[in-house]
Amino acid sequence: MASSDPEKLMSKADKLTKLTLTRWSADWRSAAGLYEQAANAFRLAKEYEKAKLAFEKASKAQEMLSSPWDAAKHMESAGAVAKELGNWNEVADFYRRASNLYIECGRSQPASDALAKGARALEETVPDEAVQLYTEACSILEEDGKEQMAFDLYRAAATIYIKLEKYPDAATILLRLGLAADNCKAVNSQCKAYLGAIIVYLYAQDFKQAEKCYNDCSQIDAFLRSDQNRFASKLLSAYTEGDIEEIKRLVQSSTVSNLDHMIIRLARKLPTGDLSALKAYSGKEQEEPLDEDDLT
Amino acid sequence: MTVIDLITRVDAICKKYEKYDVDKQKELNVIGDDAFARLFAGFESETDALLQKSEAASMEKNRATVVAIMAEIRRTKARLLEEIPKLQRLAMKKVKGLSKEELEARSDLVSALKEKIESIPDGSATGPAQATGWAASASRTGIKIDTNSDGRFSSEYFQRTEESDKFRQEYEMRKLKQASFLLFNLYLYVIFVQDEGLDVIAEGLDTLKSMAHDLNEELDRQVPLMDEIDEKVDKASSDLKSTNVRLKETVNKLRSSRNFCIDIILLCIILGIAAYLYK
Repeated sequence: MASSDPEKLMSKADKLTKLTLTRWSADWRSAAGLYEQAANAFRLAKEYEKAKLAFEKASKAQEMLSSPWDAAKHMESAGAVAKELGNWNEVADFYRRASNLYIECGRSQPASDALAKGARALEETVPDEAVQLYTEACSILEEDGKEQMAFDLYRAAATIYIKLEKYPDAATILLRLGLAADNCKAVNSQCKAYLGAIIVYLYAQDFKQAEKCYNDCSQIDAFLRSDQNRFASKLLSAYTEGDIEEIKRLVQSSTVSNLDHMIIRLARKLPTGDLSALKAYSGKEQEEPLDEDDLT
Repeated sequence: MTVIDLITRVDAICKKYEKYDVDKQKELNVIGDDAFARLFAGFESETDALLQKSEAASMEKNRATVVAIMAEIRRTKARLLEEIPKLQRLAMKKVKGLSKEELEARSDLVSALKEKIESIPDGSATGPAQATGWAASASRTGIKIDTNSDGRFSSEYFQRTEESDKFRQEYEMRKLKQASFLLFNLYLYVIFVQDEGLDVIAEGLDTLKSMAHDLNEELDRQVPLMDEIDEKVDKASSDLKSTNVRLKETVNKLRSSRNFCIDIILLCIILGIAAYLYK
């Protein structure tokens, strides 16, 4: 049919789908086609609300036609349009539905892609939701054994957490990234992830956590043998000595420059808190022997 | 006072009072007309003079004068030795009034003279045993203890060369020190420059290593994707092939001549009927 008025197309399609006395079964096929056309026309005309509606209906029609692939595609388009509109809940909703439809098809990769798209759309505005979407996407991939693809998603999620200044969460995600890398033997990414986690802990002035993290990671063979491990040990020893100059010098090295941008920025700002926290930590260590003396 | 000194002094004295030696004078007068005799006498006198000079040189302490005297002696020696063959020829010539024995004696004299000339020390110590046997009776120069005089010469030389050796050693040591100092500086400079260069290279290598690792991981990631693509493309191509075959069959069936002819005939009939109806 020609590109006539999308409104007319919409009404026609609606009529096709509504069950009346004359119509005993809805003609989903033609309806789907009409809906799609109408939606595209609306999008060109920048009538996003109507376009969104049209896309939704198209997707439903495709679902009825038991072609989840097309349905999912339409859902994605609906989500994109919703993003233009700024209905953030709807965006998340649409993308989730799209991803579910993709999973129905049995295709995990596009499912996670859909979720990632949604997350990217929501990064600026509703970062929590975005992070949620990222983690969901990662779990989908991991279930399917495609962890390699998850790296980027993990990294993006960590970036969002760092932006939100939720450093423990960021570090946790980085550790999850390390785990995923371990599963697919991507040693370099794994070591970078661990080093990133340690740096995040240090930036958050959580020296104990950083040390714990370092000890945990040292259990892992691949990390133990890597450059990143050496760098981490140097950094931690510089911290315990309270040598600011040394820390500043270390973070200029090339090991840091290979990490993620956000982490590089954190590292360059590193000697945070000016080691007073460290002093408190080392002070605590000194106190303990005193206590023992007191007891005896 | 060594033997040489004695002999020399004796010689000198004899020479001084030669004119009182009647026999010799008579001899000289007798052989005045003889060319050979004259020449021989001349030779002898010159040889004696040379000998005296060489002994004077051996006494000398001043090296320069020694060198000069030596040079002179060498020159004279060479000249005399050149003229010896002339003398020999003269010796062969027969002179009237001379007996056969005297002729033989002359040639002997000549050879003796030659040896005497050659044995004069001129600083170029050509080795041992220059004191050969003399058959001549006329000469009275004694045994030349060449080695002794030469030894004296070489000991003097050695003194000189010891000092100069020390100088030379010192000079060489200083040169060595300078050279080693320069070399050390050069090494330091090279090491420092190399250090910086090596630092730069190390950083570059670090970057390269990390990039290579990332590349590696990326490629690992792409491998299953490529496999998937491969499968899908294979499936699609096989689908296409089967569709093509079916299409071919269908088209062939359509184009089989019989159906075609029937279609044309039916069409003509319908057109005819329509024309008839409308006419």
